[in-house]
Amino acid sequence: MTTVLAVCVAVIVTVSVYLVTSRELKSIAMGVFLLGHGANLAIVAMSGSPVLPGGLLRQPPILGGGDLVDPLPQALILTAIVINFAVMGFLLTLLILTARRTSTLNVDELALEDPPSDGPVLDGEPGRRR
Amino acid sequence: MAPADPAFLLVAIGAPVVAGLATLLLPRRRTALRVLLATAGPGMSVLFLGLHLDRHGVASNSTGTEAVSWIPSLHLDLGFLADGLGAFFALLVAGVGVLVVLYARAHFGDDASSLARFLPLLGFFTTAMLGVVLADHLLLTVVFWEATSISSFFLIGWNREDGAAVQRALQAFVTTGMGGLSLLGGVLLLGDATGAWRWSELAASGVEASNGRVTAAVVLVVVGAAAKSAQWPFHDWLPGAMAAPTPVSAYLHSATMVKAGVFLLGRVLPVAGALALWLPLVVAVGAVTMLLGAALALRQHDLKRLFAYTTVSQLGLLTCMYGLGGAVDDHGHAAIGWDLGQIASHALYKAPLFLVAGALAVLLGVRRLPELYGLWRRRESGARVLAVVLLAAAYALAGGPGTVNFVAKELFFDAVVHAADGRPLLVVVGLMAVATAACNVAVAVRIAANALGRRSGIRAGDPPAVPVRAPDRWTVALWLPAAGLVLLQFVGGLVPTLWNAAFRPLESHAGTGVFADGLPWVWEPFLHPGTALLMSLVAIAGGIGLGLSGRWRDEVVDVHDRLYPGAYRAVLRGGHRAFHTLQTGHLQHYLVIMFVMLLGSFVWAAWIDPSLLEVPDGLAPFESVTGLLLGALVCASAIVLPVVTERVVRVLVLGASGFAVVGLYLVYQAPDLALTQLMFEIISVILFLLVLRLLPRPDRRPRVNPGPRLALAVLVGVTVGWMTLLAGSAADQRREPGGGHEETLGAFFEAHSDHGSELTDGRGGEGHNVVNVILVDFRGFDTLGEITVLATAALGVWSMLPGRGRQREDEDADESDPQPVPLGEGAGS
Repeated sequence: MTTVLAVCVAVIVTVSVYLVTSRELKSIAMGVFLLGHGANLAIVAMSGSPVLPGGLLRQPPILGGGDLVDPLPQALILTAIVINFAVMGFLLTLLILTARRTSTLNVDELALEDPPSDGPVLDGEPGRRR
Repeated sequence: MAPADPAFLLVAIGAPVVAGLATLLLPRRRTALRVLLATAGPGMSVLFLGLHLDRHGVASNSTGTEAVSWIPSLHLDLGFLADGLGAFFALLVAGVGVLVVLYARAHFGDDASSLARFLPLLGFFTTAMLGVVLADHLLLTVVFWEATSISSFFLIGWNREDGAAVQRALQAFVTTGMGGLSLLGGVLLLGDATGAWRWSELAASGVEASNGRVTAAVVLVVVGAAAKSAQWPFHDWLPGAMAAPTPVSAYLHSATMVKAGVFLLGRVLPVAGALALWLPLVVAVGAVTMLLGAALALRQHDLKRLFAYTTVSQLGLLTCMYGLGGAVDDHGHAAIGWDLGQIASHALYKAPLFLVAGALAVLLGVRRLPELYGLWRRRESGARVLAVVLLAAAYALAGGPGTVNFVAKELFFDAVVHAADGRPLLVVVGLMAVATAACNVAVAVRIAANALGRRSGIRAGDPPAVPVRAPDRWTVALWLPAAGLVLLQFVGGLVPTLWNAAFRPLESHAGTGVFADGLPWVWEPFLHPGTALLMSLVAIAGGIGLGLSGRWRDEVVDVHDRLYPGAYRAVLRGGHRAFHTLQTGHLQHYLVIMFVMLLGSFVWAAWIDPSLLEVPDGLAPFESVTGLLLGALVCASAIVLPVVTERVVRVLVLGASGFAVVGLYLVYQAPDLALTQLMFEIISVILFLLVLRLLPRPDRRPRVNPGPRLALAVLVGVTVGWMTLLAGSAADQRREPGGGHEETLGAFFEAHSDHGSELTDGRGGEGHNVVNVILVDFRGFDTLGEITVLATAALGVWSMLPGRGRQREDEDADESDPQPVPLGEGAGS
């Protein structure tokens, strides 16, 4: 099983690195999202294969079930999933704002563009309080 | 002997800064009162040092005081060491400090606000300097050391409107600051290598000094000392520091602070003297500085710069002197004696020279050597007495017979001659020392010739006729401190028994030959003529000839003046270039740098541990058909993702890979994960689809060659996948032998999920779902953090949500509205 997961991680990371290095913010957002899956899978792989030598599966980490899988990676991933979700929500909001303010989602063009000086001012945007 | 109580020393160190700050509480106009209070600071220091020495005697260099606990974990406590070296320096600092406060009052005149600014700074410096010389903990020395650099920075840049002065202050700060860093590194290495974090322990530990780490540490310490004491090639900041007011030049940049480096050399000498590198390194640095400073001093016309270069020269000599302390002869005698006498001798003529130079500038407007012409014959009040003090100090500078400096020079020559016995290369140092002394004599001759108005003087135009400031009742303080200090030169020179009575108890290095009992009477060197006397006579004769001759009179600029600005510009330019190379503003470049670093670190790790590249045993890819199929689904949907172009389809494909991951979690027996992931995956897909509606369609642009991107992506992917494989198989192998996993944290959590053990004081999590117990109990605070992140993100999204600002935005689109209203306005209401 570890091998399968390793291959999955390799593929996911390859695709997400490819997406993240693109010029389009939407693709970058997808790449970040996918990268989260890859990282979670890598962590879950660290609990070792759930398949016992006889072909039977280990039990979920609930007491009373005999040979349990390692609970710690699962706890870590549970946290990671939630934070991943939060990051994604934030990222998507930023995407929408960027699209509205600049009319482009190309990172190279965004880099060249001056920050909008007469656009709506956000609370807490650094250096722009009056 | 029981360690001494540090209370008196703490008071002595703290008094100047407390008194200096207290002057700020007094009314600004009451200058006399303020000066009195500021004088009380160093005065208290002298008093309490005296009390400490009276009660505990002069400590040996291996008995520090008790330590007041400060940061024990860093080996940093308030422990002090009032041995001969430290006590001598402390008395020097505090004693000169009193005089300088008085002088400063006269120097600044009625300028009450300058004085108000000056006195606290001076107090701060005095405290810092006392700390440097009395600290016993290595790191405490460094702390105070940095404080002296900071106060020096403020005092050099005293004239805040003068850009050049501020530049000079920065140069001094950068140079001494770099030295401070070097010292910090050296001290840490020294403490780590020897295990002794106090100077007293270090001196007592008798470290076997063939140690390479100790050598490295000592080299770093020497670099720090050289930067502070203006040794070549760092010397250039000291002449620049003459932008400071004269009281500062006299106090910091001749009598005390610049001697901190020399002091430090004296501190490490007991440990470092035996190192093979000590003698050549320190002597070479000192000798080069000594001659360079003297040669440059000869060709300066600005009085303060001139004295600054003689200071550089003299500091070189002192450095050289401690370097020679590493030269031990067959009888076990080091070629060093009465080092404190040497240091005191320098302070006692150099500080007066500076004080007189300042007085000349204030009273007569004389700042340069040519303007000094005919000082003796001028009728302004104070001119004659200043001329007398100046000539006396210049005589001491030249090392004329009857002064302490004459004997001190003899002493140094004697040490060089001793050390050169069996070390032929040191003959060169002897010759350099003679040349240096000759230059000093020549400088003194020129000053004298000018002041007396002889034809052999340097004359340029008429001296300024009008006194700059009318004398008042404080004028006496402009020359009296200088006169007092220079008088000691002659008292010590003519009646050495008094000198020896004062300094002998503090000295730890005894001299040899004529000097075996302390400084000798003035005639004794003549009664026992030797190589040293010959060197002295050659130096004096040569110096007089040089001073009267017409050669080397014009002003020159030190070539090193270009060194610092050049280095400064190079650093700036390099930083600029590095910034523009690395900070391109393109997200892609940053990402590529990060991914390449990741690959690089893996290659590096594999280089160190080649077993990372071995294929782990026991790979069983086909053990679970369900897992295999789900894995294939994950891979397929991921690969399809960048290929499809229709954006709705892309989002659905992204969702598909997420759902396949949910399946994998189920195979891995993680129902909680699968549930959570499933829920969030659904929300995510919906969110993504909603967002797509709000985003513009991408315009088709020519595709760039994706080859390099793909190659990088594959490399990173394979690397991360490989690391996953290694980590996962390691977990498999760890579990196989016993069938359990007792060694893992997971096992601990499993065992304590329900009921506790002795490890947890009998408390358990009272729950059967181990993952849940971990989240809410074992790592409860972690979960709290996670909730915080979620809440913060939700707040961020909510406050930026475009829908709420829609009405506003419509108004913004109208160009007539000049003051756009913040989008998030009303977020708090």
